[in-house]
Amino acid sequence: MKSFKSALSSPAGRAFLALVLVLAAGAIFNADHAFFKIGTQRDTLRQASVYGMLACGMTLVIVSGGIDLAVGSIVALAAVCAAKMAIHWNWPWWQVVPACLGVGALCGLVSGWVTASLRVQPFIATLSMMVLARGLAKYASGGMKVSTALPNADGSYRYVEIPALFHGIDHSIFGGNLSVVTLIFLVCVALAWLALARHRWGRYLYAIGGNEEAARLSGVPVVGAKICAYIASGLFAAVAGLCQAAQEQQGDPEAGAGYELTAIAMVVIGGTSLMGGRGGIGLTLLGVLTIGYLDKILSINAVPEAGRLVLTGIIIVAAVLTQRRGRT
Amino acid sequence: MRAKLFALLVFISLAVAGFAQPAKRTYTIGMSQCNLGEPWRVQMNADIRAAAAQHPELKVVFNDAQNDTLKQRAQVEEFVSAKVDLLIISPKEAQPLTEPVARAFEAGIPVIVLDRAILGDKYTCFIGADNKKIGKAAGQWIAKKLGGKGKVVELKGLMTSIPGQDRHTGFREGIAGTDIQVIFEADMKWLEPDARKEMESALSRFDHIDLVYGHNDPGAHGAYLAAKAAGRDGIAFVGIDALPQEGIAYVQQGILDATFRYTTGGAEAIDTALKIFKGETVPKKIVLGTRLFDKSNVATGGEALP
Amino acid sequence: MSIPSSLVRLTGITKRFGGVTVLRDVQFEGLAGEVHVLAGENGAGKSTLIKILAGIYSDFEGTIELDERPVRPRSPTEANTLGVAVIHQELSLIGPMSVADNIFLGRTPTRGGFVQETKQREAARHELRQLGLELDVTQAVERFPIATRQMIEIAKALSQNAKVIVMDEPTSALNAPEVNTLFTLVQSLKQRGCCIIYITHKMEEIERIADRITVLRDGQWVGTAPAADLPPAKLIQWMVGRDLGEQFPRHAQHFGAERMRLENFAVYPTGFSSRAAVSDVSLSVQAGEVLGLAGLQGSGISELLWGIFGAYGAATQGRLFLENTQCRFTAPRQAIDAGVALLTNDRKATGLVLSLSIIANATLAGLRAISPGGWRSPSRERQATETLTASMRLRAASLDSEVGSLSGGNQQKVALAKWLQIQPRLFMLDEPTRGIDVAAKREIYQWVEQWTAQGIAILLISSEMPELLTLSDRIIVFHRGAITAEFARKEATPELILAAAMGQKASA
Repeated sequence: MKSFKSALSSPAGRAFLALVLVLAAGAIFNADHAFFKIGTQRDTLRQASVYGMLACGMTLVIVSGGIDLAVGSIVALAAVCAAKMAIHWNWPWWQVVPACLGVGALCGLVSGWVTASLRVQPFIATLSMMVLARGLAKYASGGMKVSTALPNADGSYRYVEIPALFHGIDHSIFGGNLSVVTLIFLVCVALAWLALARHRWGRYLYAIGGNEEAARLSGVPVVGAKICAYIASGLFAAVAGLCQAAQEQQGDPEAGAGYELTAIAMVVIGGTSLMGGRGGIGLTLLGVLTIGYLDKILSINAVPEAGRLVLTGIIIVAAVLTQRRGRT
Repeated sequence: MRAKLFALLVFISLAVAGFAQPAKRTYTIGMSQCNLGEPWRVQMNADIRAAAAQHPELKVVFNDAQNDTLKQRAQVEEFVSAKVDLLIISPKEAQPLTEPVARAFEAGIPVIVLDRAILGDKYTCFIGADNKKIGKAAGQWIAKKLGGKGKVVELKGLMTSIPGQDRHTGFREGIAGTDIQVIFEADMKWLEPDARKEMESALSRFDHIDLVYGHNDPGAHGAYLAAKAAGRDGIAFVGIDALPQEGIAYVQQGILDATFRYTTGGAEAIDTALKIFKGETVPKKIVLGTRLFDKSNVATGGEALP
Repeated sequence: MSIPSSLVRLTGITKRFGGVTVLRDVQFEGLAGEVHVLAGENGAGKSTLIKILAGIYSDFEGTIELDERPVRPRSPTEANTLGVAVIHQELSLIGPMSVADNIFLGRTPTRGGFVQETKQREAARHELRQLGLELDVTQAVERFPIATRQMIEIAKALSQNAKVIVMDEPTSALNAPEVNTLFTLVQSLKQRGCCIIYITHKMEEIERIADRITVLRDGQWVGTAPAADLPPAKLIQWMVGRDLGEQFPRHAQHFGAERMRLENFAVYPTGFSSRAAVSDVSLSVQAGEVLGLAGLQGSGISELLWGIFGAYGAATQGRLFLENTQCRFTAPRQAIDAGVALLTNDRKATGLVLSLSIIANATLAGLRAISPGGWRSPSRERQATETLTASMRLRAASLDSEVGSLSGGNQQKVALAKWLQIQPRLFMLDEPTRGIDVAAKREIYQWVEQWTAQGIAILLISSEMPELLTLSDRIIVFHRGAITAEFARKEATPELILAAAMGQKASA
């Protein structure tokens, strides 16, 4: 009992408890045993993966004391670019992927530079990038989805094949039981964890988020480290955009709207503090799974939309409150 | 009804051609669009542009209010001060735009309202499609396709919006009295990723699904991808909107079994405008019919429905 | 001549914070029409006494009487209503608000909820005119220079009909002509019958305007006398006292070659367009030597260390030499790489990251050395921390504990460990024993001994006279950004140091 109590006092313990509660709810409200099917598990992970990639980058930024509201728009921009390059221009995957990552990194670089060098508040800087990236996505796509239906001069359409790259991403392996997108998400988790928990740069981010001035006076390269955090966030968003395009088989300039808020919710429920200096990727992974499974349980039970929003909101608030009380 | 319109169009074009004189004056038409962020509205503007291009005496000025009611009000007022010859407006909301449109109308500018209605009657003509009719047409087509019985999944658009509600009630009317069961319904908010997610839930719950009715083509497409990824064959998919590069393309590629055109009304607006310039009377309300596109008729441009 | 009335009288004031007694049985009386200077060293209790009078602390023993009536203000607003106004060093004006709004903040003239703008503006102009100021009262306060802002603050106090006006180091940001204007104003306040309680460290000011002087030392009342009866030497004696408390063993001296030298060094914390915190500083320190820097508030010694460390970026002038090689640090990272360490005087705000563990804090400055290629090794970090803290008697549950949960003394040890990890050649210590228990203090003094034996050069700032005298080999005294005196260990006494710190050029 004592060890249970002490486990609860750690952020990881509380995040784990939240996940266990959600899974228990799923076992109870299993919608004619649909919850237990392996296909449902595969789908839950697939659906949560795109948000999860964003949550990885968001964790890095939040730990350093910032926030990145632009990731949803970068998803759209990367999706549009990926679709244009792969479908319209017929580029091979080894050109499409670096180009998309480059787009995301560039957006992150601008956000980071405005925040860290020009000292604009991260909320404002990334809000501006959110609008800018969305505008670029609409401009690059002409306002329409970039799909396999290519317009001819006379107004009719011809259809091309879905690029191999998209097929490669949007299919399942291990006998159809694990989506490649989930695999990509797990790679993102591994990379983000390595950076945050095992690299010097990660320690710098914690120090900056915990006390930026003390970090600066201890020789931490504050500006450079922060900019790298936003670049990383842009990179993860670009990967998410590429996966989004592959899963929709098109580049939608309206994609990703509101995704940044879901990513932030996942990070917060996991236990990373919005003030910075505390938290980690492991916690975020728990948060991703918690929200992902919650979403799935509501979906297979065909809970009406209003009920879903209310329930999700209540759970997020409850999770945040339990975190606060736990802190001494 | 549409046939009559069509005949009238032919007559007018011949008459104009018969005159064989250079155009006497150009007419300026102001077009106030509420939100070019929606591809369907991009299509609406494209339809207007294409229809106007065939009449060199027409000049159309396009304005996009970017989903901002106040901006749209201002744009309407600008058109009025610029004394355009005719105003076409697709309003964001009925109530706030009624007053500025009324003022334009009272200033002697003919007004054609497209797609979303305004209140009162201070306008020349309202042109719009009827989502309930389209939903009902879809329901009836589905009933016929399934032979009157089957298990259907309904993926709904944003149910707080009128089109969503209408496409839902229309559909239910269309299948009323048959043995068709709606075994799963969810609000996918017009978005493809959400539709895919809800379809996956439906697939995991139900081993047997005959058909999926999506309130729009992206939703139906998302459901199709979900079924394909799950390796489930034999499900039919029906959508609405029928944009050439989306819904119609999907039918041609065999992704959707049918889609119903949600006519933008752009071409009809230009036709009505021409009539107004000629001094003819036009009806107060023109309800656009829909067009069915399925495997049998997609290559020939679909089939018009009353 | 009539006896001036007593405007404010504090009797038997005792204030405790937890177990620490900050004021013990202090008395004070301010008369109408006088400038009464409140003097004492850093930490003597002056600010605490003023805060009690201003209603910021309502939990104390003793009595306050205003105009012979006992009062007990529970908030600054209440103190204002009773006629007490305090002009703090950090002015209480709200920058973006207009002058008029600031003056009447909290007492805005309204009718039915709406601000009477015209009436307020007129009243504001009236108050300012009384001080000889003509200003555009609709402008935001932050657009005016600091001297004017101080005047506005005083106008605000007067508009509340304050009779007791406390000024805490009012001239710290003013130049000579502005000081004159202020003193003229003080005279006119005197004539209006106010009592001005004036806190300052500057001897020249005390000589200029004080009518009476009260001295506090270590939280106790030492005495009150007319200014004529307290020449500087006697005043200093009152402030410093004779007994220095516990004597710590004096350390042996081991000197080597010159380690650091400054030539005409100047530091501009807020940029070149504003005043320098220190200017024209030339000094040097040898290996194994402890150079003490003494100075009161406003002397600029902390800013000097920050400037050397590169914490103000490129906002420094002059030359810095490390072992005869000229250096210029525009960021702390550069200083650290050159072997310079700075222990700041506020470990919670600028010294430690309280949310991180002991290991994380201890390895923060020297992380590059133990993470080749960028990859960290938790075992290597733990080992490094264990080595550093082994001899420190660090009391913590484990090295993974959050630094925020440690006591003040243990926190300071972690901060010191961090700097020792980079093996500094020049170690700058700013108030290293502030807020630390006696046992930990002794340990730190012993470490200073060891460090000098290892050849590290040390710059030490300490406002505790005994500590400064024990540890330093030489003491350089600063006043308002300039050096006023230098003493070898043998010749340094508290009185001489304090006199120099208050602006008296060393003569004896």
